Amino acid sequence: MEFSLLGAAAIGVAAFWGMLRWEAKRGNAAGCAVDLWDVGLTAAIAGLFLGRIGAMVAAGINPLADPGQIILIRSGVATPVVTIGTITVFAVLARRDLVTAADAIAPAALAALAGWHAGCVTSNACLGTESGLPWAFALPGSEVTRHPVGLYTAAALALAAIALAMWKQHGRPAPGVVAGFGLIAAGTARLATEPLRVSLTGGPVVLYGAGIGVGCAIVGVAWVRDRRARARAAPPTTREPPAGRDAP
Amino acid sequence: MATAMSAAVLAVSLVGCSDEPSGPLPDAPAPITTQELEAMLASGKPSVVNVWASWCIPCRSEAPIVSAASVAYPDVTFIGLNVRDAPEDASAFIGEFLASASMTQVADRSGGIPRDLGGTGGVPLTFFYDASGELVHLHFGVIDEPTMATYLDEIDR
Repeated sequence: MEFSLLGAAAIGVAAFWGMLRWEAKRGNAAGCAVDLWDVGLTAAIAGLFLGRIGAMVAAGINPLADPGQIILIRSGVATPVVTIGTITVFAVLARRDLVTAADAIAPAALAALAGWHAGCVTSNACLGTESGLPWAFALPGSEVTRHPVGLYTAAALALAAIALAMWKQHGRPAPGVVAGFGLIAAGTARLATEPLRVSLTGGPVVLYGAGIGVGCAIVGVAWVRDRRARARAAPPTTREPPAGRDAP
Repeated sequence: MATAMSAAVLAVSLVGCSDEPSGPLPDAPAPITTQELEAMLASGKPSVVNVWASWCIPCRSEAPIVSAASVAYPDVTFIGLNVRDAPEDASAFIGEFLASASMTQVADRSGGIPRDLGGTGGVPLTFFYDASGELVHLHFGVIDEPTMATYLDEIDR
């Protein structure tokens, strides 16, 4: 991985660590059997390397013949493979307590994504389409001011991370709902800012849409399961006969 | 788990085994001088000069991005500058990694032209010129897709 991207990765990891620490002080993941730091970091690294291998294969480069190229993250990673790979590795590693772990890690994962996007300042890759807004800025040596779209995405993801963390503590949502909303927030943040990006390929908008869809499905299933569980646990509504008197 | 890993490695190796191009090799890039290249850059169209070599491992990762950009921006002249390379190696590289690119390939066996243009002796290296032939951006190292797209947007206005 090249140095400019290492800076972005470091900011992402720092944001992940910071959010986990902040949430831990507020009682996050109490009783969870999974070490969120270890599992989260392992899943992210594995996902990144899988994504790089996916991009190499798509470009016709044999990863076994050129293994050194795997670290050339700047040359591109296959975002769908990164996403699916990271989630799959996380699910395997956290399988003992998956729903609790997924809820516990969701805000920190969003914070990590926010940090990664904010790290565009280290790789000079924040700018998107042209803009005359007061906060738009230009590439070095250029007079064309552009949307700092990487920072927009970072801000949206950071707000979503904080909102989810606060809601998790005060709202006591059903198990799985926070993880579902995490996916929805990640997909929405990227989908909403995609029109402001300059791209050769148009970006993996289908993936972002799919992420939102899967997130909605998780929220729906979690909500229904929680309703049923509450209904089973509720006290019976029929009145019992008074003690000491037999029914006729 | 071990079976799944083995299957994944096998699948990757099979999919990635496209090292040998099946058809005849493309022509080797024609040698060029700095003056001739500067004349090409003054053609009135925005231009991109991508400096590469077949022995440059990162150039292989960059080639698909350059290739896609050359197709996506038909109004921009893409020039591949092959440096310090054997003609047959350069030809094989073009056949393997740049076969679908819409760009003119030229060669500089001495490797001095990138320095004459204001760059360095390292590869890969990408120069972005506007329609007046002015150097607008110079990117050192492998270029990623968003950066390529943004720089192209700057010169193709």
